[in-house]
Formats: sequence, structure tokens, C-alpha cells
Amino acid sequence: MDQPYKILVAGVGGQGVIFLTKLLVKSALWANIPVATSEIHGLAQRGGSVTAGVTLGEHTNGFLEKGGVDLLLGLEPLEAQRCVSYLNKKSNAIIDNNIILPYSVNSGNSAYPDTNKFIHYLKEQIQNVIFISASPESIKLKLRNFYMLGKACKESHFPIQPEFVEKAITELARKGFEESGVKTFRLGLKEIKIALSE
Amino acid sequence: MKKVIDILTSYSTPHKVSAIGNEAIARGAIEAGVNGVFSYPGTPSTEISEVFNLISIFRNSNSSLGNHADLIKNDLYFEYSINEKVALEKAIAFSIGNKSVLCVMKNVGMNIASDPLMSITYQTIIAPLVIVVCDDPGCHSSSNEQDSRYWGNMASVPVFNPATPKDAYEMTKQAFRLSEELRLPVIVRTTTRVSHTRGMLEYNEISTTSRESLFERLPEHINIPARTAVAHQKLLDKLNSDIVDPYFKLFNTIYFAGENKDLAIISSGVTTSYILEIVQRNNLTNRLELFDLGLIFPFPKKGVSEFLQKEFKQVLIIEELDPIIENAVRNIAQKNQLYCEILGKDYAGLGSCGEFTLSQIDQALAHFFKVSTVGEGELDHVNQYENGLPPRPPALCSGCPHRATYYALKLVVPRYNPTDTGKMKGEEVILCGDIGCSGLGALPPLKMVDTINHMGMSISMAQGLSEALKEKNTKVIAMLGDGTFFHSGILSLLNAVYTKSNLMVIIFDNRTIGMTGHQDHPGANNRTKYHEIDIPPLLRGMGIEYVETLMPFDTKDSFKKLEEAMSHEGVSVLVSKAPCVFLPGYKEFTKQDSRIVIDPSKCNTCHNHADLDINCSRNSSASTGMIRAIAKIKAQKPVNASDQSCPANICNHGFFNSILEKDYETALEMVRDKMLFARTCGDLCHRPCELFSNHGAESTVPIKQLKKFVSGIDENFKDFSSTFQRIVNTPKINKNVAIIGAGPAGLSAAYDLIRDGYQVTVFEKEAEAGGLIKHVIPDFRMDKSGFDFEVSQLEKMGVHFHFNSVLGRGIQLEDICQQYDGVIVAIGLGKSNLLDIISSVSDSKKFDAISFLKEYNQKSLKVKPDASILVVGGGNSAIDAARSAKRFHPSVNVVLSCIEEKELMPAFKEEIGHAIEEGVTIFPNSYVAACSESDKLNIALHQFDAKNHLQDLICDYIVIAIGQQGNIEEYSIIGEDKLGNGNKIKANNKTGFTNYKNVFVAGDICDENHMSLIGAIASGKRAVIGIKKLLENYEHDYEGINSLLNLNNKQKEGNSSHPLDLNGDISSIISQFNLFQSCEKCNHCIDNLGCPAMIKINGKINIDYPKCTKCGLCIDVCPNDAISWVKESEVVIENQILTT
Repeated sequence: MDQPYKILVAGVGGQGVIFLTKLLVKSALWANIPVATSEIHGLAQRGGSVTAGVTLGEHTNGFLEKGGVDLLLGLEPLEAQRCVSYLNKKSNAIIDNNIILPYSVNSGNSAYPDTNKFIHYLKEQIQNVIFISASPESIKLKLRNFYMLGKACKESHFPIQPEFVEKAITELARKGFEESGVKTFRLGLKEIKIALSE
Repeated sequence: MKKVIDILTSYSTPHKVSAIGNEAIARGAIEAGVNGVFSYPGTPSTEISEVFNLISIFRNSNSSLGNHADLIKNDLYFEYSINEKVALEKAIAFSIGNKSVLCVMKNVGMNIASDPLMSITYQTIIAPLVIVVCDDPGCHSSSNEQDSRYWGNMASVPVFNPATPKDAYEMTKQAFRLSEELRLPVIVRTTTRVSHTRGMLEYNEISTTSRESLFERLPEHINIPARTAVAHQKLLDKLNSDIVDPYFKLFNTIYFAGENKDLAIISSGVTTSYILEIVQRNNLTNRLELFDLGLIFPFPKKGVSEFLQKEFKQVLIIEELDPIIENAVRNIAQKNQLYCEILGKDYAGLGSCGEFTLSQIDQALAHFFKVSTVGEGELDHVNQYENGLPPRPPALCSGCPHRATYYALKLVVPRYNPTDTGKMKGEEVILCGDIGCSGLGALPPLKMVDTINHMGMSISMAQGLSEALKEKNTKVIAMLGDGTFFHSGILSLLNAVYTKSNLMVIIFDNRTIGMTGHQDHPGANNRTKYHEIDIPPLLRGMGIEYVETLMPFDTKDSFKKLEEAMSHEGVSVLVSKAPCVFLPGYKEFTKQDSRIVIDPSKCNTCHNHADLDINCSRNSSASTGMIRAIAKIKAQKPVNASDQSCPANICNHGFFNSILEKDYETALEMVRDKMLFARTCGDLCHRPCELFSNHGAESTVPIKQLKKFVSGIDENFKDFSSTFQRIVNTPKINKNVAIIGAGPAGLSAAYDLIRDGYQVTVFEKEAEAGGLIKHVIPDFRMDKSGFDFEVSQLEKMGVHFHFNSVLGRGIQLEDICQQYDGVIVAIGLGKSNLLDIISSVSDSKKFDAISFLKEYNQKSLKVKPDASILVVGGGNSAIDAARSAKRFHPSVNVVLSCIEEKELMPAFKEEIGHAIEEGVTIFPNSYVAACSESDKLNIALHQFDAKNHLQDLICDYIVIAIGQQGNIEEYSIIGEDKLGNGNKIKANNKTGFTNYKNVFVAGDICDENHMSLIGAIASGKRAVIGIKKLLENYEHDYEGINSLLNLNNKQKEGNSSHPLDLNGDISSIISQFNLFQSCEKCNHCIDNLGCPAMIKINGKINIDYPKCTKCGLCIDVCPNDAISWVKESEVVIENQILTT
């Protein structure tokens, strides 16, 4: 790796942002790539916005900056949109259309942003956007993150080889989910053109 | 256990790992041979203690240690102490017992632990004691962003300030050495961005040096003033000794040292990481020297002084929070007369608040090095997408027992009006919250917290406020979690008992310290082996008289107990006990075999209207007040409002709930939304709404009496302003409608039409409006002036009246049909039925009931004062006539004969009862078999069924009240085929349309089987819908149609409803009823509960099943009974995963 590669994972507390971060770290370790992360814990399971930074390469410490992210993994569209200023024109984004309405929207006090408009904007602005508008039925909610990781491995500059990610999944997945985790990951890896929203 | 094994794995050769700062600290302590760890959980420090907690559980578990037995060579004691003060005190003692010790806490924890810290430095420790304090710049999860580096100066203890996980690991390890050498506690201070940053580092071998338990009687262990003054100097000497020097060398590092550099940066902590990343990325390494200070107290005076002597032009000091290093550097520069420009706080926007970001440092360095930082490939118009997004603050988890407790409390202390934020309503109660998950009750929609201070203050706050507000007798409630209660709340509570305070305390006992990730505390040992202290006996032992435990998901019980506790004078404590959703015990009381299902037909749907544009005087439903929800929990008698439907389609829900809220004005408006005659109906209605009910009289909501009550309040009754306003606001429709007949049916139609923007003209044969109600119903049955007032409003609303216009004479139906766009015939029945057998009786001795009552009402009745009068007939007119006759003069003797058995008489039972009470003699099952006239009338009554002779009567007058029929002369043009029984006009029963031109009928002339005020009103309304369908293509049917048609078949009156004391507090009398009905304006669960598993989509609540914990609270909460359990095995609906 010549250049550091910076990943921003964004989602809602309880969605598995920290878990996905750990998977990325483990994968990088298997691939022998220096890795660092920066996370915020504590309130993370209380349904608030959660982000984590994962940086691969020398001289990085997990910290991200505006316009400095290579890959955005958005587990929820609104949370992905909240991080838009971290992207630049060369960035890639994988966004799962797993909408979780915040209370302010639920109560009618504010509107949920137009996801399609945002995705359209991203497609114009950044290098590549994969929008998982609906996972195949076989993908349970609990496994969506593995699917997303599969998509990430398809990205041209993603520095970790799939075999190392699989090793990490086998090691870290909750008991009983190791096999289905790898299977779902492979599904994400295999389907190059799945569910691209137009 | 993976984690424990990982952290414990001993490496004989260094091994590269990736760890977050907190894990690295734990590993550092393990490698240093720590013997004991004392801690209180607190973000961002918790992961350190959790490592030791896991090890402790692992050791205490019976599971085989397998291959890992060799990993546990050192004895290792761990506890989550009751609070940080006790943790540090016990840690100090542990050290004095010659065991090395780690004490872990978050920034604010050090405040209460500062007491032992400040004194022990004057005394001595024995084995090493390292304190880890984690700061939280930016307050991600703390109540302040205090700078713990000050403790170094304050308490005179060394302070390490790591920049990375690797630093943290090494510094912790060395801190043990330094502590042992100095015999002083040593602080390792981190920040969130060090504790929660994951980096690469190498783990090394774990020390296996064992320490012998030992207590040596040293004079330093006794703290007496005479000794301590000397001790202070000794302490300062320790810090200035050369023991510290090697540590400065180890941890205070100069990067990029070189010749003749102009610029230098001094930094400490995470900012060093930011600087290094940016400097290396931007190839600036040859432009500066960077001095990273890892050991910041004692301050490295020598090192900094030497650094400053390198004659930089500018030295920039970058540190988060307070300018501690900056001030020290300036001090050194001044003392040593080193004149270079020192830049610090507020340089390039780097202030003292919040945490710095990589971007901020990037900009500051660009400024410092005078280079450009213009980012490459910035997105266009990114602000448009980034700004104004709905926030997503943390919230109580779905199914959280705290939410249940808060909701029940909200029912007892209804205070907030969501549309009117912050305004207190009703009884003044102050709610003092505390730190922890329970504090999230302060956020919308619960908003059940008025104060939160530092940890454990809630009870002190409540006591102090209660005392200060004593003259107002304000009730104050303290609310705190179980962990917080033991942490420090318990002391305040003892103080409250001792000072005889008046306050209520709710302990939110979710069996764990939730916020930090479910740690044990003295009251809940889920994982550790320690003794569990049961809270209620503890409280009773403290001398608290009122102690109750409630199960928060039992809303009825919680409500009751909260109310009880509220009314208790003195200290009352409620323990709301249910496990956190993350604990295994949670599933035991939730219904895991079932699923919560919402009936969309009951959620956010108006029961009364398909046409949601129809005016509703209630601005919102149960959301506004909590009264509806309270009724649901309190009331003993659930009544589905649709069981008590009014033919005029009055919204019972809004009417009833307004009364519960004591908003009688709106209650009256709810009636007036649908009809003009609120007070008249309160007097006269035969209350089919109550009769339709399947419930017994005791469980039937007494709607008629309520109507009488609300319309009896003159101030509201006289105020028609909102109706006038509505007419002003309604766009006018350029259509003319004629109404013939100004009785209740015609006037009701006029009322609806004029409010809908029509031009309305009413033709009436009499000189005044009002029909039978005005002219025939005797005044002792109703408030005539109220009726006159109601009728008089129509003219003010713009309805044109033509009086003395008789159909068939002055005006012709045919002409009117042509002149108007629509016509409603509501002329009533103009002709009384006659009895053949009295046809020969002279006119002065016989009356028909209508004329008799008209004359009575007009006070023109001419009968002798001591007359005997026979009334023939069993209907309401007969009873009215009989009662009027009796009232005409007390000595008048009244006999009533009817063919029906008494219980089958068509008249209202109540009226019959009144007649008998007033002295009317009734001969049921009888008929006039013979009548001869002399001076008086000689009448023979026979039994109607057996035809036997029953009674001979001698009377002065006979009143015939055997019904009326239509006067065909008035409307013969309509065609005989359209006439029914009694010459009534046949019409479509959904629209009142006659099939003749544009003519609709309403009221008694309509060929239906009812003769009642409410029937007349409803059929008038139905005819309006018919008109609207004809003239506007209106798509909806008359919404009260079912009740109206039902009326036809239910002429008889049921049991009397339970009489209300209309002078009492109506709202409290009726609070025994839970009258529920779906309402389109309902948003109660969203506005007052806010469970994250309940999501509103397209106006309806949906359950987000993956989030639902099956606690079932929402079932208790829904005011409309729209939510219920369905067994998983019977679930038919699709699992709903949210996608747009």
C-alpha cells in the first residue's frame, strides 16, 4: 500500500457500526496492513448517530477529515448523508437503504431527506456509488453488514483481499453466524450489479 | 471469552496486535503485574475495567480453564466499587497491603475521589498505585469536559498524557514503576480519542513477580496535622528528584530535530497524532521540530527550557482543553528570558472548548506554515445535502423499562403539552433527574425531567427544592437509577430521612448500570460473585415508611402506586424494578411467543368521518392532554364509542374527552359541529346513543346528561362565534336551496347548508320558526328560551326565512323546484288522526293533541279549572297532553286511555313515569267503546284485547292523540306513487331523495318508522348530503346513516341511564368510563411514549419488528385499542422491514 485508505462507517446505534469496524480491523491484520480506528462508545447502543473511522496504511490513527474519506459505508441513508462532507470526487460509497426514522421525523417535526435525490447527487459527484436498495430476500437484517462488506471488496482500490475478510468473519461473527456470514459476504462479492437504483 | 483469552495471552516474544487505547492500558497494567483493580464504570474509561471484570468472571466461572491455566499466574482482584471515592480509598489500602493496584474512572469520577487523592500524597503508599482518568473533550458522554491534567498540580502526582494506544500501553506499564519508586500514586490521563482509538502495538511478557501480603506500621499511615506540614515539602522534593528524569527521557520526545529550524510545536496527547499525520502527509518534516510531552507533571522544565533555547522564531503550543502546557511554557520562557514568539490558545481557532479534529489541526498548521490546504476534489453544493438534516440523538431503547416508568409517571403528573413546549399544566410537580440512562427521560417525547446535575444529586436537589418551595407546598420527585442510587444517592436519601424532608423518590431499578454497558453494582450482581443488596429492606431500615416496588410494565399498578406515593407526606420511595432489555431476565416477563399487531382500521382513522375535510373543533386528539390516556388506565368501564353512536354523528370521543379535560367549551363545539340544538337535545333527546349500547345502564356513558350539562353553561351556550367564523371562512357555493318547514329537520338542514357555503331560504307556514318543538312540546319538558336562541342564530348566519308561507296555498312546490337548485321538504305531518266514535262530539269538548298542546303553549287553552279530561293515545303527544292538562290546573282530573299494554306504550318511559307521578291515571290496554254527550261526555272504556267492559268515565273534554298524517293537499304534485303510509313521502333512505325533480325530504314527513327530535335532525343532515351529491358531486354518504337507520327499528327506550349529579364535578364523575374510539388526529404513542420500535408511516403506526422487544407497553398506551397481541403461530402479516 502506497497511499493510506480511509473508511468511514456510519449508522445508527445498534446497527453494528462497531462490529463492522472490528471486522475491517481483523481483515487488515490478516492482510498484514497497518490499521487504526477511531470510535465513540457509550451512547452507541442508544439509537443515536454512530460513526467510526478506519484507516489503513502507515502514519494514520483512525482519524478522518472532511473531504478525506476513500470509502463510505453507510448502514443507513440519513446517517450516510450526514457524512457527505467527508467525501471527495474520488470517493466511493456503499449505502444500504435500511431506513431508520429518527424520532424527529416520526413525530412529524422534520422530514426525512429524499434518499433517491441524495443517491443521484452522489452518483454525479463521486467516483462510484452502490446503493443497496433492497437486499435479496435471503439476507436477514443481521447479515446485511456482511453483504455490504462483500460490496466493499469489489471496490477497485479496496486494499484488503476477500480471503482475509472471510477469515475475519469466521473469527468474529457471533456463534452460529460464521457460516451464513461468509455466505452472505460472498453473495455481496459476487453480485456486481445488484440493485443499482436509477 | 475470546476477549479475555486474547488479553491474557502471554507472549514470551513481542507480539503485534491491534487494540483500542483502553485495552492497551489494561494490558499494560497486566504486564506490570497489577494485583488488584478498583473501578467505577464511566465512559470513556469503561473498557479498561471491563477487561478485568471479564477476567474476574472468567476466573470465578466453573468452566474449565483448559489450555489457559498458565495465563493466570498472578492473583488478580477486581471490583466495581460503590463509587470512585471508595474505589480509590480501597485501592490506596490495597497498595498499603503491598499489592500493586490500578484504579480506573472517568473524568468526573476523580472529583469525588479527590479527597483520598489529596491526602495520600502527604502520606505514603507502598505497592504501586496507578490511577487512570479518562477525559472527554467534546462531552461525547460526560457532564463536563474538565481537564484532569490539573490533578497533577493540584495533588502533586505525576501525570502521563498518552497520544496513542501504544503510548497508553507503555505509559501505564511505566507508571507502575514510577509509582513504586516515588511511593506516590501516578495518573495516566487519556481522552476519548485515545481511549477509543484502535492502533497497532506490541504486547510483551507479563510480569510474574509476586508480592507478599504485608502491612508495616509506618508513622506516615497516621495523618495528623503536625506531621503533614513537613510532609508537604517531602512531597515536593520527591517530584523534583532525579527519579523522574528517565521517564522524561522515555516519554517526552522531540520529532524532526534538525538544524536552524524557525518553527516548533509543543504538543501533548492526541493532538500529537494529528500533527504527525499531517506533517508527514504534507512533507513538512523539514520545516519544524515537534516536542511531544507524554509526562506532563512534574512539568519537564529542563527539557522545555533546552528546547526553547534552540532559538525558534515561533513556538506553537497545541493542546486540547485548558492552556496548561502553554502557561508552563510561557512561565519557563519568562523565567529563563528566552525570547521567541509563543503561540497558544486561540491560535487559528484552536480554543479551550471541545475536541480538536484532524481538519482543524490541518488548517491551523497550514496557517502556521503558510501553506495552502485547499482540499482536492471537494463536492459541489455539499452544504445543501449536509445542512438541516433531522438530528438523531440517543434515546431510551425500545422496550426500556424506564420508558414504562416515565409513561406511568406522566399519567400521574400530566404536565407537558407537546404543542406548547415547556409549559407546566395542572399541579406543579418538579422532577429532578440524574445521570445515567434514566436521564434520557429528559428528551422528547417523554420530557419528564426538570433538572439533571452531577451524578447522585437528584435526591439532594429534590430535598433542597422541597424546602425552598415549602410555602407553595410544591411536590418534588427525585428520579435516579439503581447504580446511581448506590453510587451517591443513598447518602442524600439518608439526609432526607434525617431532616424529615417531603419528597418522593423513584429508583429506576433496571438491575444494572445500563449506560456504560451493563456493569454490576451492589444492588444487582448479574455476573460477579459479590453479595447482592436488596433495595427495599435497605430503605425500610433507613427509616422510610413508604417503600413500594412496582413493575413498570404493569401500567395500572404503577399508576396506582405512583398516585399513592405522591399523596404521601414525608419521604416516599418507589422502586420501579424490571431488568434492562439487554439482561437475560428481560425475556422472562415479555411475551416472546406472541407478536404485537396494529389494527390499521383503528389507528389514525376517524370513526365519524370518511370525509376528513369535515370541520372538527378538536385541534388534536389524545396527544394534547394525557386525560384520555389516564382515563384508559383509571376507568373501570371500557366503552367503545361506536357502540353509542348518535344519528347526528356527533363525535363522542372528542365530546367526552373534552369534558374529561374540563374543556366544556370545546365539548359544546363538538356537538355544534354536527347540530344546532345542543341544549334542546339535552332536554328532549330520547338518547338512542345510550339505548344502542350493548352495555348495561351502569356501563353506558350518560351522553344526554353530559350534553345538558355542557349546553347549560350559559357563557358557552351564548357564544356562536366559532360557527360564525367558520361560515366566514367557508368559500361560498353559488347554489340556492329552499327548505320548506322550519321544524327541527328543516332548521338542521339549513344549519348544515349555510355552514357549507350555500344560500338557504326557509319557508314556514307559521309566523315563527321551530315547528313542533316550538309550538307543541310543553315548556315543562324543555328550555324554550334556549331553543329560541338556538333557532335565532340561523338568521344571523344568513338563512332567509319566509313565514306564513303555506305550501299548496301561498307557495307551490312546482315553482320552488324551478326557482331553487335544491329543495328539502320538511313540513312535518299536518293532519291529526281522528277517532270516528267521537265525530259527533261537539267541537268545544274535543281536541286533537297538537291543537291542545299548541293552545296550552300559547296559553290560549280554554278548559274549566276543575275539568275531567280523557286523553286517548299512548305516544309522547298523549303523555305531553296529559301532563299539560294536569299542569293547566292542579284540580284538573286527567285519565289516559291507550290500546297498548303499559310497557309497550310508544311514549318514553321516563315521561310515562312523570305523568303517573303527577297524578295522571292510565288505562292501558283500553279503548273508547262508546261515547255519548250530554252536559258532559259519558265514555265507556273497554279492554282492548278481551273487549270486556273496563270502566265508565264522565269527563268534560276528550283529547285525541293517536298520531298524525301528512296533509296531501300541500304536496299532491309529487305523485301518489311516492306516498306511503299516512301520506308520508317515500324517499331514498341514504339521501332523502324523493325521485321527484330536485326534492328531498326530511323529518316526520319522510316515510320512515321514527318520530323523534334526533331522527328529524339526522334526516335533515341526510337530506343535505343528498343535496350536496346532487349539486356538488359530493362523494361521501351521510356518515350517521347507520345510526339513523338503526333508529327506525329501535323506537323503544331502554333502561334509564344512571343519573348524574350535574352540579358535581362532571369530569371526575365520568372518569369511571373509558370511552375509546379511533381518531384521525391521534398521535398519542408518538407524542408521549416514543418507543423506537413504533414508526409512523403514511399516518399509521407500524411496528418495526426487529426492534420490538415484546414488552407490550404500547398496548396499554394506545388510547384507541388499536394494538393487540397475536400468537406468533397465528401471525399472517408479512414481517415488515422498513424500506421506502
